[in-house]
Amino acid sequence: MITTHNLTKTYNEQTALDRLNLQVNEGEIYCLLGANGAGKTTTINLLLGFISPSSGNAFINNIEVSKNTKETKKFLAYIPENLMLYPNLTALENLDYFSGIAQKKLSKKDLVSFLTEAGLQEKAFNKRISSFSKGMRQKVGIAIALAKDAKVLLLDEPTSGLDPKASNEFGRLLGKLSKKGVATLMATHDLFRAKEIATNIGIMKDGQLKEEFIANHISLPDLENTYLDTMNFKEAVL
Amino acid sequence: MFLYNFKYELKLLLRSQWIQLLSIVLLLLFGFSAYSGKGKVAKREADIAAAHNEVKESDQVMLQLLDSIEKGIKVNARPWTTPNKPMAVGNYYPRVAAMTPQPLAFVATGQADLFTHYIKPTVSGDDFALNFTEMTSPVQLLFGNFDLAFVVVYLLPLLIIAFSYNVLSSEKESGSLRLLASQPIDIRKWVLQKLVLRFFWLSILVLISLLLVFAFLNINWSSIITILPGLFTLILSYMLFWFALSFLVNLFVDSSAKNAISLLGLWVLFVLLVPSILNQLGTTLYPMPSRTLMINQMRSLKADATKKQDKILDNFLRDHPEYAINDSTQTRGFYHNYMASQKLVKEELQPVIKSYETQLRKQQYWLARLKWISPAVTVQESLNKMAGTSTEDYQQFRKQVIAFAETWRGFLTPFLYNNQKFSSKDYPKIPAFNYAPKEHNNTWVTISMGVCSVLLFVLGLLITRKQMITSIT
Amino acid sequence: MTRKTFIKEFKELFREGRLRIAFFLVVLLLGVSVWISAQQYQKINKQHEIAKTAERTIWDNQGKKNPHSAAHYGTYAFKPKYPLSLVDQGVDKYTGTSIFLEAHKRNEAQYSAAADQTGLSRFGDLTPDFILLFIIPLLIILLGYNSFTKEREMGTITLLRSQEITFWKWAMGKWAALFLPILILIASLFLIAGIILSYLKDFGVFQWDSLFWIFLVYVGYYIVFMNLVLFVSSKVKKSGVSLVLSISIWILTCLAIPKVASNVAENKYPYPTRQEFAVNVLKDKKQGLDGHNPWSKEAQLLQKNVLKKHGVDSLHQLPFNFDAYRMQKGEEHEAEIYFKHYNYLKEQFSKQSGVYKGLASFSPYLPTRFMSMAISHTDYATHWDFADAAEKYRIATQKFLNDNFAENSKYGNWKYQADADFWKQLPAFEYTPPELRTVLSKNASNLFILGGWVIGSFILFLFSTKKIK
Repeated sequence: MITTHNLTKTYNEQTALDRLNLQVNEGEIYCLLGANGAGKTTTINLLLGFISPSSGNAFINNIEVSKNTKETKKFLAYIPENLMLYPNLTALENLDYFSGIAQKKLSKKDLVSFLTEAGLQEKAFNKRISSFSKGMRQKVGIAIALAKDAKVLLLDEPTSGLDPKASNEFGRLLGKLSKKGVATLMATHDLFRAKEIATNIGIMKDGQLKEEFIANHISLPDLENTYLDTMNFKEAVL
Repeated sequence: MFLYNFKYELKLLLRSQWIQLLSIVLLLLFGFSAYSGKGKVAKREADIAAAHNEVKESDQVMLQLLDSIEKGIKVNARPWTTPNKPMAVGNYYPRVAAMTPQPLAFVATGQADLFTHYIKPTVSGDDFALNFTEMTSPVQLLFGNFDLAFVVVYLLPLLIIAFSYNVLSSEKESGSLRLLASQPIDIRKWVLQKLVLRFFWLSILVLISLLLVFAFLNINWSSIITILPGLFTLILSYMLFWFALSFLVNLFVDSSAKNAISLLGLWVLFVLLVPSILNQLGTTLYPMPSRTLMINQMRSLKADATKKQDKILDNFLRDHPEYAINDSTQTRGFYHNYMASQKLVKEELQPVIKSYETQLRKQQYWLARLKWISPAVTVQESLNKMAGTSTEDYQQFRKQVIAFAETWRGFLTPFLYNNQKFSSKDYPKIPAFNYAPKEHNNTWVTISMGVCSVLLFVLGLLITRKQMITSIT
Repeated sequence: MTRKTFIKEFKELFREGRLRIAFFLVVLLLGVSVWISAQQYQKINKQHEIAKTAERTIWDNQGKKNPHSAAHYGTYAFKPKYPLSLVDQGVDKYTGTSIFLEAHKRNEAQYSAAADQTGLSRFGDLTPDFILLFIIPLLIILLGYNSFTKEREMGTITLLRSQEITFWKWAMGKWAALFLPILILIASLFLIAGIILSYLKDFGVFQWDSLFWIFLVYVGYYIVFMNLVLFVSSKVKKSGVSLVLSISIWILTCLAIPKVASNVAENKYPYPTRQEFAVNVLKDKKQGLDGHNPWSKEAQLLQKNVLKKHGVDSLHQLPFNFDAYRMQKGEEHEAEIYFKHYNYLKEQFSKQSGVYKGLASFSPYLPTRFMSMAISHTDYATHWDFADAAEKYRIATQKFLNDNFAENSKYGNWKYQADADFWKQLPAFEYTPPELRTVLSKNASNLFILGGWVIGSFILFLFSTKKIK
């Protein structure tokens, strides 16, 4: 579902992303680990078509992103790090608006069912977003993805700032989605959560994908050691 | 997309209380300005009515006097003012030449505070000495008026700026733009729809509050019903222009504060700087000849004319009509001389007077071409024209008054030269002044401004493909 | 603390490209407007000199003539432009420049420049006062609107808060950084204006102390604006909101309130229309003594009294020409009527001034504008003063002429002619505008209001906030 071929992005001679080759299939949850500035967000921006690649290609559902951004957006849902919705609209209204402007007409019954599926409590449906916590807002984000029937889910640091309970709940929600066949790409710092929910894990540094694992094949302490080794790579050489 | 934007934009505007705030502000601004405009028009009408009444009363006196004189009864009036003398009629019983206000006069004060609205030309005296300016405190002229035109030209754009400067940037700053941009929509079209919707709602608010204010002020609907669409479309096309600018700024600039600065900069440019620079250029390129020097010219011409009448008696009689009229043997009286020399001076001064008119016309012609640089100038001018208070209207009035003064003189001088008495039989033949308002057509202004605004929108859509991508991240 | 903030803010301001451009534009506009005004000033005063000399020549060369004829023939008083109109043109554009002085009639000044221009002139001119009153406050807003909000937006405010600083010291640093460029800008403008005026050929007397007072008035005006802008910036969270609020204050202060004031003033204390005024004067005149009407009741009464006083029984026995005497008495009576009616206008004007002063507590623009015009001799009061001086001269001229007529001829002798040289004996009309001290004491209330604004805005800005939030 998500494929990149030698995807590269440079800003004024500074390489943000260096020949990234990535493959996320249906039902997989791919976690990108890495420090700030490793190129995780650049990857997501490229997949969203917010920026265009310097070289290489990115594909969503086998459609090249830079050539047909609008078409690829039909298949994907995106939840930014700090998901902001319209504070003056209710959860239901936000969902209605965001799925509506993407040309999908849904009945109120459907909208309610998506919010329920995303795990939002029923009494919050008609409350304004301004009173919502981050976890609640993300549930609305998931509901938007559900309503869109997205095949690809892009997540940028979704669990940062969530309390452990909300984070756990969010992980389970992703699991449910992946069972439906959604391909998920998630950029995160959270090794623990990544190990728990991912099917695949990649470690990035300086715009390059340094290591890739199948999540089941590595234990959490090993993952942590490898991560730290990769991060300290330069210092070790010096 | 449009349907959903339509539905939720209204909800958002209502919940953020923009609609409520704008309605109150618009009602207050329109209400106060139209109310005081109406007051001014009412005073103008009352003044003119009073002048007409006064003439009516003095006409009654004149008819009574004529009646008595014709019946041979001695009258108690200064002998040189008795209305059986044509020149006395011409000087002491002048007609009112009034410029009645147009139905929309309350919309724009224009030049109405500078120029007078009625005048009573007499047979003696110079046409160019007729003072067409009104007695107004110059401080008031300097500060200008808080009229409906001021609200439309100056304040409405600022409301539009406050209402629309951060349509895109606020989404970016709050973070909702990234979610929005991940949807399969064109963000530029989304911004366009948002602005068009805000334009739509603001237009509705403007129209409703205008109609409410008009209804509250008891405006005579039947007289303005045909002009109202013109007024409304003009205001709407001006609003559309500012929304188009806001659209461009929203697309090109990124942060809200910078957007606000850019739009306010444009406002200062179009509303304050361009008009004053154009005005300065106009007066520098086509300077008015000095009025002080004109006085010199006029004085020496008159001095020459006076010297030609070398008889002391004539000289004296020129200033003392009462003696000329007392002398029953005199057949070639003072007025015969006076009217003749007056005519001569007038003819010789014609080129000087003409030079002012030509220069003013040149300035106007120049302005007519350059006013397009600033829509504020264009709209102000059009509103003045709709209100019948533009410079051209007062020029028209001036011209008609001078023509009427000529008619007045032309009506009475035959009596003078034929040494014929003015009688009550001649009274019904006295000419009356009827102001024929200048016809203006503002359709072109409205259409051109609307087209320009639409072009600005299209321009924004065409050249911002790249900008949009970088502004999201 | 204050000094460090000042240096940091000042550097920030001058490293910002947009601000440099804005500053440059304002300087350019000021330069152009001063140049244009200087040109106009010279041109108009040259014309004024020519007109004055030409008019006097016409008067002097009337030849042999009856003095009352000459009185009807009349003469003109021309209003010159004063040097400081270079800084503030005031209401000059809307007042007439020449007054016709003739027998029996007080005329108003005629030919205002505005009446000869297109409707565009009502938008305003590119003059130094336009820049000083409207554009520089905008520049202050541009320089200062984000002075505090930017600290909030960049998050540096939390750092500052952790360092236990007093708000007012910090604020003063920001204030000084904003004040200095503005001060330099207008100080150099006034200096240049002063130098230009000292070198212009001597039309009118230019005084440095007047210029200095105008400078002080404007500095006060800008301080008020700075305090308000910084106050808003310290109170709101976002730069955009701060900008919009500051601009709203500017619009209210500079555009809306003056216009509202003018609407209210006109509505409450209206002037009569020109025709009404003329009719009212005529009515009063009809009731009184008419110098030209020997048959009226008043004339008969005067005749009786004069005969009685001189103990003679016929007008021919009087030692002077009674016709001329009656003419003079009529003149005096008419002058009184005009005095009364013009006084009414003046009263209306002073009541209107009261409205402006009342509203000045909502707008520092009003006292600044009035002070600046008054010191520049381009205000309405100076125009009144000029018109009054011209009227005084007119009355004196009439007396001069009538006296000559009365003393040198006998009753009934309308054929009397004064010598051709006689006209030269009439002193020329000279007018000097009020001294600076008079102007200042007359405008003391405006000075107080402006001072009140300066102090009030300082208190608002510095002491409304105790802690940095």
